[in-house]
Amino acid sequence: MDIQYVRLEEKLPPKEYKSDLEPTWCPGCGDFGVVTALTRAFSEEKLDPTALSLVSGIGCSSRLPLWMNAFGLHSCHGRAIPAAVGVRLAKPEIPTIVTAGDGDLFSIGMEHFPHAARKNFDMVVISMDNRMYALTKNQVSPTSRTGYKGSLTPYGNLDNPFNVLEFSIACGATFVAQTYAGNPKHMTEIIEAAIEHKGFAFINILSPCPTYNKIDTFKFYKGRLIDINKELGHDPSDKNKAMELASHALDSDWDPNAKVPIGIFYKTEDVPTFEEKVEALKEKYKPENPETVWDEILAQYKL
Amino acid sequence: MASFDLTVKYAGEGGEGVISSGDFTMRAAARMGYEVVTFKSFPAEIKGGYALSQVRMSDEKILSQGDGFDVLVAFNGEAYEVNKPLLREGTVLIWDGPEGGDFEPEFEELEKMGVILYAVPMSQLAKKEVGAYITKNVIAVASTFEILGMPIEYLKEEIVNKFSKKGQDVIDLNFKAIEVAQKYVRENIKKIDPYKVPGPLPKKDVIIVEGNEAIALGAAVAGCKVYAAYPITPATTIGNYLAPIILKTGGYVYQAEDEISSMAIVIGASFAGVKAMTATSGPGISLMQELIGLASMTETPCVVVDVQRGGPSTGMPTKHDQADLFAAALGGHGDDQRIVIAPTNVEENFYLTIEAFNLSERYQVPVLLLTDASLSLRAEAIPTPNIKEIQSKLIERPVIRKGEVSPEEIEHIFRYQITDTGISPFFVPGESPKPYTATGLEHGENSYPRTTPKERTEMMDKRFRKMKNIEDENPHLVEWDLGDLREGEKADIAVITWGLTASIAKEAIQRLRNKGIKVAALYPKLLYPLPSKAIEKVASMADIVLVPEANYLGHLARFIRMFSNVPPEKIVQYNIYRGEPFIPKEIEEKVEELLGKKVEA
Repeated sequence: MDIQYVRLEEKLPPKEYKSDLEPTWCPGCGDFGVVTALTRAFSEEKLDPTALSLVSGIGCSSRLPLWMNAFGLHSCHGRAIPAAVGVRLAKPEIPTIVTAGDGDLFSIGMEHFPHAARKNFDMVVISMDNRMYALTKNQVSPTSRTGYKGSLTPYGNLDNPFNVLEFSIACGATFVAQTYAGNPKHMTEIIEAAIEHKGFAFINILSPCPTYNKIDTFKFYKGRLIDINKELGHDPSDKNKAMELASHALDSDWDPNAKVPIGIFYKTEDVPTFEEKVEALKEKYKPENPETVWDEILAQYKL
Repeated sequence: MASFDLTVKYAGEGGEGVISSGDFTMRAAARMGYEVVTFKSFPAEIKGGYALSQVRMSDEKILSQGDGFDVLVAFNGEAYEVNKPLLREGTVLIWDGPEGGDFEPEFEELEKMGVILYAVPMSQLAKKEVGAYITKNVIAVASTFEILGMPIEYLKEEIVNKFSKKGQDVIDLNFKAIEVAQKYVRENIKKIDPYKVPGPLPKKDVIIVEGNEAIALGAAVAGCKVYAAYPITPATTIGNYLAPIILKTGGYVYQAEDEISSMAIVIGASFAGVKAMTATSGPGISLMQELIGLASMTETPCVVVDVQRGGPSTGMPTKHDQADLFAAALGGHGDDQRIVIAPTNVEENFYLTIEAFNLSERYQVPVLLLTDASLSLRAEAIPTPNIKEIQSKLIERPVIRKGEVSPEEIEHIFRYQITDTGISPFFVPGESPKPYTATGLEHGENSYPRTTPKERTEMMDKRFRKMKNIEDENPHLVEWDLGDLREGEKADIAVITWGLTASIAKEAIQRLRNKGIKVAALYPKLLYPLPSKAIEKVASMADIVLVPEANYLGHLARFIRMFSNVPPEKIVQYNIYRGEPFIPKEIEEKVEELLGKKVEA
């Protein structure tokens, strides 16, 4: 079953994807760049604001749907992915983008990610990764560095950071990429590729928090990024290599010479999407005559 | 009064075919044209433990599982021991003996009591004559049929239906068991009991469904397109039954990773414009509370079925309880809006599931349907529903569609528009011309986050305005049972109860009326918001208001104190919490006790 997204015939200018609301984020927040990149990607992909859904959880970044001109579902903390699954099951022709944060996706909402990924729902999941909780004023998140000082861990984070790139490949995501809020062009390209990808596309966007996180800053990332596709010639269809590259994604936490990889780590379209399988089932069991379908169903309950 | 009313109970070890014995008997009785109601109970484990399946058959509409049984088929010693105190004069005991079973009844004692004993060596016949112990239950059923004069060909047809996929060998084996049983009964048992199933009666246009099956059918008829749920006893079978049906009607049953995601999926699907439902039991309801609040805040229609079981915590997963009313109505944080309804029998499971969708679409709120473990398993023959007629009356949310409004008009239409009724237009991705973001944050008419005292107050008032007139707008959700009394006339006692207990109370009340006691009864299907006008009215008819419920705290009784003006001193709670439903006799006796005039038996 080939499911096509609803698209416009003509491109809309990127600004048409913005709502009248101005983001309440702090000046200098990386998430502003994500908004810009999303509007550009939506424009390029000719998505229809009236047939597009942005689903989020709770947190600074999860407010994003409110700033956009598209159908948005600003749900509960951690529940962006299942809410998006609901949209996918109901209306597979509506492109669905989850815009959430690292805490929302990988702490409180952790049980949902692996399942949506392995089932290969056709959705884009964006983690705006500032490596901490900002809306609640600075606590460690699953992606925080070891030693990071949050309000509940004033002695420094005892945990090891969670490598979300390795994890998402292992979960069965069929598109895994990392990009950077300070590079709108790269971000836009990655988001476009993720929208075009048929299947579960995860994008980790390194999106610095200028207010609380004084370590993972724009300054830190400057000069440390390396484009694994363009500079290292990585072929995203090579899963082993993708895992290998992903395993080094956090090396810069302790190695001052290590690079931070951005680009598409892994991509395969060999896996059918969950929605395609559901539509195929519906097609297979569709009644020959819808007029008599209930007579047939009730017949099973008669004596 | 019914001229024929017979209850047969099969009891034994779980996994021995006790449940299917009851099913065979129930289906045969229904084929003979009788009304049937089953009562089943089994442990949470897959194999072992005490299981029972009881079939009540009558030539008139049956309200409850009854007070006891007329015929007991005991598969083992435990079944005998458990039921021994319930044996009385005239009860037939068919037991696994005289040889080959694991027990022997106390003959002298039972014969003195007037219990009629028939020994059928089920285990031995199955092993030695049929050569397959697994056919023990078929021997038991066939013997029972033979003793009660039920047509054995109905049993054979049921065997064919059940085992046709397993092959002719299995059918032949069971047919052999039937022959062995028939032969044994004819040669060895001299019938001295008065029980006989006369039939057959004229055939009725009915379907046989279990409680959870009726809910699944109702959901599909109502147009549910996304059903998301996580396995939990006793709710799982709703999804089992729905899975094949919903595919034929363009929907899908999705097994989610947990109850939280089930509820989020339902909200996402409904946000995207389709009808969606989940079903769970107590622990799942606890997990879903935050998201039910989101559905309420975002005014997203959805249906949540709670098949109540014994709680708290894991409690008793397969047992009857009515203790989730507080959680269903008030379990969320903040002041949210929900509707809670509860069916009282299998037929209502079907119609109230459809009603749940209608209410949720009309008021744009989550609707919780409360049933229970006993009702989930109870089978009834219900009149075949007229699907076309039901579907022509379905209520749909007011979606604003592209092309239906001009660009100027749409400027002034908002998703959370403040209206007199509190009900706002609905926008759907792919269908409506104007996007919006549904948010759990407090918001203005246009869905933008707002926290000013004025806007907060206006929006809270708007949402609660939807709830204000639900009782008046849905009088069919309250069932009056006044007998010969007129509304407002003086009664000896008023009875208010809900769920399965209502159908049991109804039978008790009929008996009381036959004894000349004036009972004014009310069975609210709508529990929250509480239909306080009807409750106050019925309560005003008597000095005593009895509220029987299968829970410890008295959820409905306390709701009546909290949400109505019924004088609290009138309210008498009657609570059981043993994991089994009331029997009619208990309620009958309670009323007599309260009225101080115990009628001589």
